[in-house]
Amino acid sequence: MTFSEYQVVGRHLPTENEPTPKIYRMRIFAPNEVVAKSRFWYFLRQLKKVKKASGEILGVNVIHEKRPLQVKNFGIWIRYDSRSGTHNMYKEFRELSRTDAVKALYQDMAARHRARFRSIHILRVVEIKKTEDIRRPYIKQLITPKLKFPLPHRIPKIRSTFIAHRPSTI
Amino acid sequence: MARSKEIVPGVGRLSRSQVFAKRGLFKGQKTNPTPAAQTPAEFVEKTVGGDKNGGKRLVPVAKAPRFYPAEDVRQPKKSRKAPKPAGLRASITPGTVLILLAGRFRGKRVVFLKQLDSGLLLVTGPYKVNGVPLRRVNQAYVIATSTKIDVASLKLDEKFNDSYFAKAPSKQSVSAEEEFFSEGAPKSKEAYPATKAADQKEVDKAVIAAIKGTELLGKYLKASWGLSKGQFPHILAF
Amino acid sequence: MSATTNFTRFVEVGRVVLLNDGPFSGRIAVIAEIIDQNRAIIDGPNTDVPRQSYPFKHLTLTGLKLTGLPRGAGSGIIKKVSEKEALLEKWDKSSWAQKREATKKRRALTDFERFTVLVQKKQRRDVVRKAVAKA
Repeated sequence: MTFSEYQVVGRHLPTENEPTPKIYRMRIFAPNEVVAKSRFWYFLRQLKKVKKASGEILGVNVIHEKRPLQVKNFGIWIRYDSRSGTHNMYKEFRELSRTDAVKALYQDMAARHRARFRSIHILRVVEIKKTEDIRRPYIKQLITPKLKFPLPHRIPKIRSTFIAHRPSTI
Repeated sequence: MARSKEIVPGVGRLSRSQVFAKRGLFKGQKTNPTPAAQTPAEFVEKTVGGDKNGGKRLVPVAKAPRFYPAEDVRQPKKSRKAPKPAGLRASITPGTVLILLAGRFRGKRVVFLKQLDSGLLLVTGPYKVNGVPLRRVNQAYVIATSTKIDVASLKLDEKFNDSYFAKAPSKQSVSAEEEFFSEGAPKSKEAYPATKAADQKEVDKAVIAAIKGTELLGKYLKASWGLSKGQFPHILAF
Repeated sequence: MSATTNFTRFVEVGRVVLLNDGPFSGRIAVIAEIIDQNRAIIDGPNTDVPRQSYPFKHLTLTGLKLTGLPRGAGSGIIKKVSEKEALLEKWDKSSWAQKREATKKRRALTDFERFTVLVQKKQRRDVVRKAVAKA
């Protein structure tokens, strides 16, 4: 599943008491526009006294990555409902775009915690500009200057069941 | 059935004769000018002996069968469809070298001459090069190579059609008894018709002349084709 | 990296790689930046490979390397350096590339050409055998 970053803008429907209701804007990571709008109402309902039946969506736009070929380090804050309680988390990812980082986050949460999309709230996605701000060692190891490493134990594709020589894995 | 709208499933509004009248197919129908040949009489009057038998009796010409099948066996419908001859593959043009994959000459490389009306391909070895005579082959059992031989100078006679290759009517067969007692004796072999041998030479002359123009081409046609280890026909380029 | 390593080819900025999979398979490119343990940004301005992320699974490291390439070098710099160091000529001259080229050529041979090769190899064998017998 690929994610996109959407900017969803919405508000409460104008009433006699409030002819110009406040307009709310949210950046939401979702696989498509339908889910993005749905998540917008889900979050807005929790934060303000507005719901889908009494509100309207003014616009949905896709936010594209400015430099999709530059490697960036992202810090992501999330809130996640485990089977026993709610936790806040901070994770770091090294990716080419914000959406890639979010995709990696959902994969990571699914792998380590068996967490589903519905049980994760993404609070904040921030690009870490300064290398000294990186907190996690698994990202720190990748930003060492003059980084180099071999690719050990490479297994070549062999079509036949039996071959005369053992494959060289270096 | 659109004319006869169904009242209930299976029962049309119009009767069979009404539908026939509405469809109007009879308008185009031609009546046969010659009346049908006199049907032979079904019964023959025969005199019978005996006082109480009336003297004469109508006896059917063909006796009714004594046994009938216990159950009605459905007659299969006759199909009026006839298979069309296959179109020629785009990679096969006159002069293309083909690899035969089936039959007595499998593995041989031959030269394609033309497609016959039945859809079969007319090929020749040439006979002098690899022993394959003028022959019809099915194009499904053939690999077309990209090698072409220039046979533009060859003018194929019209007589090379499907009937040219038809089997000759067999001579009076030897009676089984005679054959049994002649066991061990070598069977007299029929000589190859001289006209066909001449035709073969005539056709091959132009093809062999074209082959001589390219180095190794004759050797190539003489060699037979096969797959060796690690070769897969769907990956190979021909 | 310890000094006593047996490895000679490393994932590093400037390393020339051969792509084994995808639409650009068979071409060479240069590692511009390492994303993580599994991927790198590669770029091949001389071989028409656009800058993209590529998994190490789908590429092979070659013995060639561009020197002095900065981390995250752009296509322009990579093109300039590889032209200066005659990367393509070096690659084409390597026995690896030549073997690949020969295999490719052999695969594309038609049936008649394959037969011609067979005959010529026989002739060569004959000449060699006779010369060896004489010596």
